[in-house]
Amino acid sequence: MTEYLKMDAPATERRLDDMAQGLVGAPLDRPEGPLKVTGSATYADEWQIDGMVHGVMVRAPGNSGRVVLTNSDAVAEMPGVLAVIQDDRLLRNPAQGTADAAPIQGARHAAYHGQLIAVVVAETFEQARHAAQSLQVTLEDAEMVPVDPATAATEPRENQALDQGDLEAAMQQAACRVDVVYTTPSHSSSAMEPHASIASWDGEELTLRGSYQMLKYNRNELADSLGVHPDRVRIVSPYVGGGFGSKLGLAPEAVAASIAAKQLGRPVSVALQRPQVYEATMRRSETRQRVRLAADAAGRLIGLGHDARVSNLPGETFAEPVLQASHFLYAGANRKMSLELARLHRLCAGSVRAPGEAVGVTVLENAMDELAQEMGIDPVELRLRNIPDEDPESGKAFSSRRFRDALESGAEAFGWADRPGVKERREGEWLIGYGMASAARINVLKESEARVTLLPDGTARVETDMTDIGTGTYAILGQIAGEMLGLPYEKVDVRLGDTTLPPAAGSGGSWGASSSGTSVYLACEAIRRQLAERLDVSEPDLMLKDGCVTYANQTKSLTEVLGGDEIAKLGHVVPGETSKAVRQATFGAYFAEVAVHAASGETRVRRMHGSFAAGRILNAKTARSQCLGGMTFGIGIALTEEMAFDPRDGHVTNSNLAEYHIPVNADVPQLTVELLEERDDWASPLQAKGIGELGICGAAAAITNAIYNATGVRVRDYPATLDKVIAGL
Amino acid sequence: MGIDFVLNGQAVRAEGRATTTLLDWLREERGLCGTKEGCNEGDCGACTVMVTDADGSKALNACILFLPQLAGKAVRTVEGIAGPEGTLHPVQEAMVAHHGSQCGFCTPGFVVSMATAHLNRRQDFDDQLAGNLCRCTGYAPIVRAAEAASQKPVPEWMLADGRQIASAGAEPAAADATTGQAAPYMPTSSDDLAKWYLAHPDATLIAGATDVGLWVTKQFRDLGEVVFLNRCADMRAIERDGEALRIGAAVTMTEMYDAMLPLHPSYAELIRRYGSVQVRNAATLGGSLANGSPIGDNAPALIAMGATLHLRRGDDRRELPLEAFFIEYGKQDRATGEFVEAVRIPTSAPNLRCYKLSKRFDQDISAVCGCFNVEIEGDTVAAARIAFGGMAGTPKRASAVEAALIGKPWSAETIAAALPAFAQDYSPMTDMRASSDYRLRTAQNLLSRYFADLAGQPTSVLAVQP
Repeated sequence: MTEYLKMDAPATERRLDDMAQGLVGAPLDRPEGPLKVTGSATYADEWQIDGMVHGVMVRAPGNSGRVVLTNSDAVAEMPGVLAVIQDDRLLRNPAQGTADAAPIQGARHAAYHGQLIAVVVAETFEQARHAAQSLQVTLEDAEMVPVDPATAATEPRENQALDQGDLEAAMQQAACRVDVVYTTPSHSSSAMEPHASIASWDGEELTLRGSYQMLKYNRNELADSLGVHPDRVRIVSPYVGGGFGSKLGLAPEAVAASIAAKQLGRPVSVALQRPQVYEATMRRSETRQRVRLAADAAGRLIGLGHDARVSNLPGETFAEPVLQASHFLYAGANRKMSLELARLHRLCAGSVRAPGEAVGVTVLENAMDELAQEMGIDPVELRLRNIPDEDPESGKAFSSRRFRDALESGAEAFGWADRPGVKERREGEWLIGYGMASAARINVLKESEARVTLLPDGTARVETDMTDIGTGTYAILGQIAGEMLGLPYEKVDVRLGDTTLPPAAGSGGSWGASSSGTSVYLACEAIRRQLAERLDVSEPDLMLKDGCVTYANQTKSLTEVLGGDEIAKLGHVVPGETSKAVRQATFGAYFAEVAVHAASGETRVRRMHGSFAAGRILNAKTARSQCLGGMTFGIGIALTEEMAFDPRDGHVTNSNLAEYHIPVNADVPQLTVELLEERDDWASPLQAKGIGELGICGAAAAITNAIYNATGVRVRDYPATLDKVIAGL
Repeated sequence: MGIDFVLNGQAVRAEGRATTTLLDWLREERGLCGTKEGCNEGDCGACTVMVTDADGSKALNACILFLPQLAGKAVRTVEGIAGPEGTLHPVQEAMVAHHGSQCGFCTPGFVVSMATAHLNRRQDFDDQLAGNLCRCTGYAPIVRAAEAASQKPVPEWMLADGRQIASAGAEPAAADATTGQAAPYMPTSSDDLAKWYLAHPDATLIAGATDVGLWVTKQFRDLGEVVFLNRCADMRAIERDGEALRIGAAVTMTEMYDAMLPLHPSYAELIRRYGSVQVRNAATLGGSLANGSPIGDNAPALIAMGATLHLRRGDDRRELPLEAFFIEYGKQDRATGEFVEAVRIPTSAPNLRCYKLSKRFDQDISAVCGCFNVEIEGDTVAAARIAFGGMAGTPKRASAVEAALIGKPWSAETIAAALPAFAQDYSPMTDMRASSDYRLRTAQNLLSRYFADLAGQPTSVLAVQP
């Protein structure tokens, strides 16, 4: 029996507030922690399978032309080599998140430097690596193709465009205006675990052990890529060593491993080497953003313009949704927005943590800081004056929105009142500055299913193909089930990451916790109803706690009520009218203090604070960690992270963790996070919204705004490296 | 080739090639997959293991550690950090409790780094963990876990490796294997090395393998014949030699740090930011100079101090000022069959100051590394040695700047007058680390910083952390 909910109306009952177990919201440890700290959690490339052989992928040495393997016969004869495979089904680039079908395929033509165009399989990894290295790849009839987003041909994305009122007139009339252009470079997710897959066939049945974020989509993508029915494909991914978008869609190694395993009749493991992750998975598009702000004399926006250029490979439809939060964050009657997509031959652009807002809100928040400076208004005050009453474009109401509270509470917690004037505070050779920025991210609910089984021994099992990519899914689904069924945390066994289990929303877009959590909640509600039936009472009269049922002045143990039976229910949620009726988003505010060295231009983030509101917090510890991690990404965007491309052929010149600078411990100060209590009835029956990405959406701007406050230098081309800072000193 | 060592308390013999890495061997031959491959070049620390020898226990990156480097030592992987019956180590308990593990992929490396630091009773958590990257947590939960665990005693089982090594006596050498792979040569003295290298001048010398390791794991080069230097006892010695220290070429950067701290604290601080704990534990002084890198941080500091390089070919020895060794990019004054035997470093250079500028604070190659050593007699500059890394194709002295200072009063006016001379000394390039303009400008700024520093206004980059 399935408990099905289409989210058509706000869930005003707030049942979780009435439950007795006290698990939801508590800062509980992740249950799989002991496995992870002992090295016993099994990641994709670690399954020990009899007869397994190893594949190493081979890259295209250029960005166009017909791929010719000139010595594949000789390589096939090398010691241990089993096959040299160039197959039309190999992926040109990974699938986009939720694609649900194969991405563009083909290994006969190169589209970008580093594209994975063949796989060499051998008995051992060393043999395969050596043979792959020996394979000579030439590109015939190569042409000059565009690689530079500044000069490549562009196409407008009409569905992102907006023209409301008359922005040009508003700019003319404005008491104060800002018209600025910022750029952000490409970013890499740089998850610590490189992409890896092990494929094994049992007749026509394929099992892929991979590292993926959204298994129900990935299964369809893999089946479509191979030309088999999805029923024949199983993907197993219980532990994922970080995703941040890079493992949303099926990647080339999965298809290569599957083809090789089928051809050889043996399990095949294909793990990407770190440079291949940088060259052939996903990048966040670089952006060029023009922001126009027109304000009246009181600092109220009368116009807001945001025009962005992003890029992607020919044939890819994904365009970094830079304007996503600009549509609703601030008021302003006259609005103009546009997005254009440059077609070029760099690796595929796709989702990297918080696509859109991570860079879009950042630049909008820099422009707001420039306006505040121009007008002599406190940056927090400027934002408070421009919180719109309703969605400024659709006129819809917001669901829960503690944006104002986040700004005020964050300012208080940080000590914003002590903000120095521009270039005012100096400690020795260090110039000290404060900066702030708003945070905003859309909230989304996605279809998700889970099965919950209450077992005769009074324990419960949660099953769904949902993933835990470090986010805390194992913890929160156990908490929700334990809360609803009145079971201690350790009495709930959560099983994830296997497509034989009910299909979930997957991890991405910040929707995983609320969507999969709702499906668990629904299944538990159905179980509660069945318990009530057995006891012949109405379900709301049940009180479940510590494995006991209390009703009508009596208490029984669950085992007694179950009497040897088990109760299994499927929960199934789909989005409905609440997604359209109101504007749903999460909000927050960042505050940062930096020190910039007057002689060297080195910037040190001294402290940083974030206040966030994202509906009900399901686990205070894992939610807080998401914010800490997001703010750390923000430090990287502000100061160090940048994919560098060779201007001649577009190849990635910093394809390793030594030169793609994710922040190290010494770059990250003690960060503080405040989570504001909130319930969003429109979002889900949990009243929870997404929090996985909120902490990055605008974070970098707090730091670059602080650099301005310290030095008077506006770095408008991210990242704000020491040479750019000192150029303005 | 067979290499005998102790793995998680058990004696093992590893069969493989001389350039098989410990990481590959653990994961493929032993099925021990707790040790992760994040980058395969010593950048991320996900493969950290604890290696114990007679000198103690240290954290090393298994991805650039060749099997012969382990002969006679004890290796402990994450699978060996928990106790009998699965009792969690205090650092493991703390990592769970403080939510220091999220996706979990970097976790084993952090756990081994933390357990090694815990065994050595280190309290400098930030430094001890600087060689491990994490993309999930923002680090603070991990550092807090390390702090919390430091209050707990070292578990009994963590002491086993030290005892086992102490009782084993002489280190076994590599043995030829049944599989037909000859064992690599592993001399025990520089005399043996000199003789052998003369006869095998095309062989690759391997000391810490923090650079050579990448030739294998990243460039996929076949190194041909190799020789391992880590057992040459005399090349690992630090000896007093009059007004100088004679540092054997195979002394690690960790040992260098300890030796330099009381003598040259500014250089020691530079070493602290040099690589990571794991890299410093493996990298050797000789290797860092012999590879001729224009962006290494050791050379400018040592040139500024007036260090000399001792080279040896067979029984012929010569020494030369370090700066003379670097001829041009990729070319050093080293003859075929000749190797770096030692470096002689003056014990006194009270005015030495070393400044490292990089985009990222730790784990980053310098955009500019400037080292200054001016001797002032009365108010006058009596001598000046200034050297930079990252400003030319080799580590290079700022001769024109030095000339503009010597004989002049040590004053702000002299400094100002000397600044234009930098453009005579250097025409730096623009690359990913910094622009040409930046390099030239900050080189000048660093001279000003040096003047302020000697006047009692030092600037520590760490000092800004409240």
